[in-house]
Amino acid sequence: MNYFFLAAAAAVMVNAFLCLYQGAKGPTIQDRVISINIVNTKTLVVLLLVFFVIGQPAMYLDIALIYTLLNFVVTIAVSRYIETERTAVG
Amino acid sequence: MGEYVRDAFIVLFSLTGLFFFVGGTVGLLRCPDLYTRLHPSTKCDTLGACSILLALIIHAGFSFVTLKLLAVAFFLLLSSATCGHAIGRSAFRSGVVPWHKPGVKPWPTEEENP
Repeated sequence: MNYFFLAAAAAVMVNAFLCLYQGAKGPTIQDRVISINIVNTKTLVVLLLVFFVIGQPAMYLDIALIYTLLNFVVTIAVSRYIETERTAVG
Repeated sequence: MGEYVRDAFIVLFSLTGLFFFVGGTVGLLRCPDLYTRLHPSTKCDTLGACSILLALIIHAGFSFVTLKLLAVAFFLLLSSATCGHAIGRSAFRSGVVPWHKPGVKPWPTEEENP
């Protein structure tokens, strides 16, 4: 089962790099914010799978919890900043 | 026998999550503009992550780890929808025009539809 989890983590990482390419390409700021949000979610899943592979996941799950909350805070902060500063295209 | 059934469920939910991740990535790469990209990003990503979390919950069994994984899933469900709404609103208010076919207006103007 450990090898299956590692293979799943590798597949999710390939997806994350494709999303990162879209974030580098995206024409507006909001495209980049969406892409970074998706990359954060996929990184969270990779972290959880790797935690379960290396064992003792109860120690490490706090890191995943904090990562989820940081993802939320970053996205909300950047979108509020863009909304109030009125910069359309970047 | 029970071990095999449990492993089969773990593999099933993990492959479901990977399928939705791949669908979200294809949607992100193929969609023409920002407002259509919000659709695969917020929905497919949440469902894929929650499926893989469900597989990990089955793998971990019923313990304290399950509670933390459920907390991660709860915050993920809460944050993804809120982030999608916030990004869409900031894009609309800062003047990003939705994608439309050449020669077709994105929405009727105020003179045509008062």
